[in-house]
Amino acid sequence: MTAMTNFKKIIRSAWTNFQRNGYLSFGATGIMALTLILFLGLLSLQFLTSQVVTSIQDKIDVSAYFTADATEDQILQVKSDLESLPDISNITYTSRDQALEDFKARHAQDQLIQDSLSQLDENPLAASLNIKAKDSSQYASIAQFLENTKFRSVIDKIDFYENKGVIERVQNISGGIRNWGLAATFVLAIIAVLVTFNTVRLTIFNQKQEIEIMRLVGASNWHIRGPYLVEGGFYGLFAAAAALGIFYPISYFASGKISSFAPEINLFGYFVHGIAQVFLLVVVLGILLGVVSSFIAIRKHLRI
Amino acid sequence: MIKFQSVKKIYKPHNVVLNDINLEIKPGEFVSLVGLSGAGKSTLLKLLTREERPTAGKVIVEDTDLDEIRDKDVPYYRRKIGTVYQDFKLLEKKTAFENVAFAMEVSDTDPEEIEKNVPQILAIVGLADKVDSFPVQLSGGEKQRLAIARAMIHRPTILLADEPTGNLDLVNSYDVLKLLLKINELGTTVVLASHDTNLVNTIGRRVISMDKGKIVRDQTHHGRYVI
Repeated sequence: MTAMTNFKKIIRSAWTNFQRNGYLSFGATGIMALTLILFLGLLSLQFLTSQVVTSIQDKIDVSAYFTADATEDQILQVKSDLESLPDISNITYTSRDQALEDFKARHAQDQLIQDSLSQLDENPLAASLNIKAKDSSQYASIAQFLENTKFRSVIDKIDFYENKGVIERVQNISGGIRNWGLAATFVLAIIAVLVTFNTVRLTIFNQKQEIEIMRLVGASNWHIRGPYLVEGGFYGLFAAAAALGIFYPISYFASGKISSFAPEINLFGYFVHGIAQVFLLVVVLGILLGVVSSFIAIRKHLRI
Repeated sequence: MIKFQSVKKIYKPHNVVLNDINLEIKPGEFVSLVGLSGAGKSTLLKLLTREERPTAGKVIVEDTDLDEIRDKDVPYYRRKIGTVYQDFKLLEKKTAFENVAFAMEVSDTDPEEIEKNVPQILAIVGLADKVDSFPVQLSGGEKQRLAIARAMIHRPTILLADEPTGNLDLVNSYDVLKLLLKINELGTTVVLASHDTNLVNTIGRRVISMDKGKIVRDQTHHGRYVI
């Protein structure tokens, strides 16, 4: 007999089994679908937190304000020194005049401020360097660098120390989310495997007699196992389909709610953009979950 | 050729079910194994199907020490022996044809051969008109004949029958017995475990009596069931 007809026979027998075990199949598929939805939920959570953390990190920067007698050359020297550091992503220089222009433009509507400014003989604003790092953990060393530069005397103030609390908190939160998220995913995955495994075991226990008879007529272990593994694969496949069918509409509605207070985050877009990978991942994960559960569950019944 | 050499079987912790069994069954023999429940008949048969292993001693079938068969080769060994049980052990969700075909499928037999052989064997056991019936639609006697058909599909050299008539009425019991005798005439060694006195007495062949795990009597000709 060719391998192909053999394979077809296994698929067919698994499919018949799947149909004849109506309720148990439904139960096992349901549990696995829940597991997969949970997994997709964790994926969303990871995406959302990473988006929130990035958007907060984008808002963090360090500014060095220079004294009024600092020359532009000195400031540009500091800038180019900073640029030699590996962790800098962007430095913006704002001259005193520019700062005044910006300030005026920002308060163009406020007559009182405009009047007070015109009363002053001298520009009250300081020139500044605005520094963004690639990673929020680098700000401390940047601040340190500024402290030790030979131009320290012309630097009036480094606002890192004011931002320090926020920067550290964001670091803690993003680190915490990453670690706890990973731990939670791991724990939930174990629970999911155990629940699925137990459900499949129940299905197989239901067919204990059939397995016994197969063994008595001399069926080899792989012959007995094959249809059950494929059946487990069917559970996984249907569970994946159900999970995706439930998750995508939910993420669409949730996405609407989220973008009403954080417009830059597009959850649904994220999942639509990666639809091929998500599909593949969920289907493969589902089938793997079913097949592995079946494999473990049937082992006991194959002992001779 | 079946040989038991000083076989002892103890179920943990110390329940001795077979004690010092020495037995030889020649090819083509029809052996009745008799004794009360718990005498050790079923355990003896289970040693032959390699469902159990002896605690001590050797079980040899056709020059093979069963203890030396590796677990993964046990299915291939089992295809050489047919088994029939009191509770038939039929697959309820399969038709008569499928139940027999199934036993062939597990040994990767060609589908054409299955199509040809299954109706033949069903005709031999008298179930030609029940090919598409499910076990629930069959009478007890028919179920057992179907089980025998399944056991014989591999043309085994040994047929083990554990209380095959235990669930059957008198007429059906004799039908099944006649079938077993016919199979034996065609050259298959038959080992029949039974506690049905009348049935065993009508066979008039070798009778081995067991009691409390021991062989207490071995009548090679015209054996009778005596306790």
